[in-house]
Amino acid sequence: MSTGAANAVSILSEQLRELIRAQVPAAQNIEVTNLSPLTAGNTRNAWSFDARWDENGITQTAGCVMLRKAEAGQLETPLIPEFEVIRALGGTGVPIPRALWIDPEGKWVERPAFVLERVAGTSDFPALLRPEGAAISRGVAEHLVEVAARLHTVDWQALGLGFLPATSVKTAAAQQVEYWESLFRRHRMEPHPMIVGAFIWLKEHQPVADRITIVHGDFRYGNLLYEGKRINALLDWEMVHLGDPVEDLTWAYRALWSPASVMPLEEFVERYSKLSGIPVHPHNLIYYRLFNEMKHTIISLTGAKSFNDGRTRNIVIADRAATVTSYLIQFLDWLPEPRVRAAL
Amino acid sequence: MIRPTIGELLSGVATSLRERVLPEIPAGTTRRQIQAAIGIIARVALVWDKTGPYLYADNEDIAVTLGRILPLLERVAAEEGNARVRAVLTRLQQTPNHSSEPVGPCPSAEVLGARNLELQEVLAEIQEALHEATAVQSVARNEVSVELYALFRRMLSRELEITKPPRRS
Repeated sequence: MSTGAANAVSILSEQLRELIRAQVPAAQNIEVTNLSPLTAGNTRNAWSFDARWDENGITQTAGCVMLRKAEAGQLETPLIPEFEVIRALGGTGVPIPRALWIDPEGKWVERPAFVLERVAGTSDFPALLRPEGAAISRGVAEHLVEVAARLHTVDWQALGLGFLPATSVKTAAAQQVEYWESLFRRHRMEPHPMIVGAFIWLKEHQPVADRITIVHGDFRYGNLLYEGKRINALLDWEMVHLGDPVEDLTWAYRALWSPASVMPLEEFVERYSKLSGIPVHPHNLIYYRLFNEMKHTIISLTGAKSFNDGRTRNIVIADRAATVTSYLIQFLDWLPEPRVRAAL
Repeated sequence: MIRPTIGELLSGVATSLRERVLPEIPAGTTRRQIQAAIGIIARVALVWDKTGPYLYADNEDIAVTLGRILPLLERVAAEEGNARVRAVLTRLQQTPNHSSEPVGPCPSAEVLGARNLELQEVLAEIQEALHEATAVQSVARNEVSVELYALFRRMLSRELEITKPPRRS
């Protein structure tokens, strides 16, 4: 490790000690060890560390992961709702890391951050998509159905998640479309008439949700920690909201990370409905498949704009605008309108 | 001097970085950044000389399509009688064959790009005007949609050559 990196680790260790001291007032003899960066995400920088402290005469230990907001990126979402949802879901049967501490303003660790308990497992999703990983992938997909069913049947009102923006079965789709379209208008670097047309289609064909549930918002391979065929934790809750659960199901089946080779969407949906009691209407299914292509398009355009504006120097997202062509083609391929399809 | 071309140069740089530099960098954030940079350089190496022809073809296609949409929109405006569509129509009547940018015998990518933005704006405006005024639905409106979506399909096919170019063998 270079001297500069060692200094950064030393400073951050001290900052984390201060954070723990502030959030656990009874804590004494706080130690932060084994602090090291994990592979960075595009919106959160992750650090792993071990914490040890004495509290009322008892020694406490925790393996921890700190997620600290990146400078700017593809998503700019507040940390507090994300942290509070993770905290509230503890003990509900949804596999989730334990929420420990939050620094919402970056008072202690320079940028907004929160700390979760470290969970065993890997998030390596390319391994699940390779032919040799098919058996494990099938098991993970089976568990993913169960996780989806559990998440979407949690009584979110009883958990006190009323701080999430309210919605209804009639307005859930409209609210999401409005949100993502507003980001599009803010971050686009050219008119993008095809995207304008896509949002119009989405506004003109909104489905009614069967019910309102917690929607993870980024529910997919890559955002879960698994060991063998079991999912130990669902990660990356920054897009969590209340809405139509079908949004999560269709997001999981986007081409980039889809488990379709081991479990076709139809089977996933059938199992899901059986487990959750939530019917999945064909119109909602196709609608959210289309919506999600737009959602990912806007995420990518936002990342490209952040880099172009110099608000982030993360090269990984620099060229994300070039990825949207295939999402838009997918949108057209799935567009159900017969009069349009006939012309294509 | 035309050799090495920009594409050859960038392609060589990407290869050198991939073969010589990357293996020296341990897994982690820095390696991810370098990998991403190599990917971008490799893409630009393949498409740097296609941008002008791409924009030229795109502009031509959009202009020709707008020429076909013009009479359809005139019908929509007449049948539905809404002001927003009429306003777009006025703009459209001025747009297809005239760029606000001076076009020389061999227009630069910058000039072609400016024209492309202008045409894209018209396409967006047409759709927004039609979406805003939906009280009366004329048949011609559907024909406009068909033209537009067929155009989008062609535009995306062209765009794919730039954003996801096939590797040269």
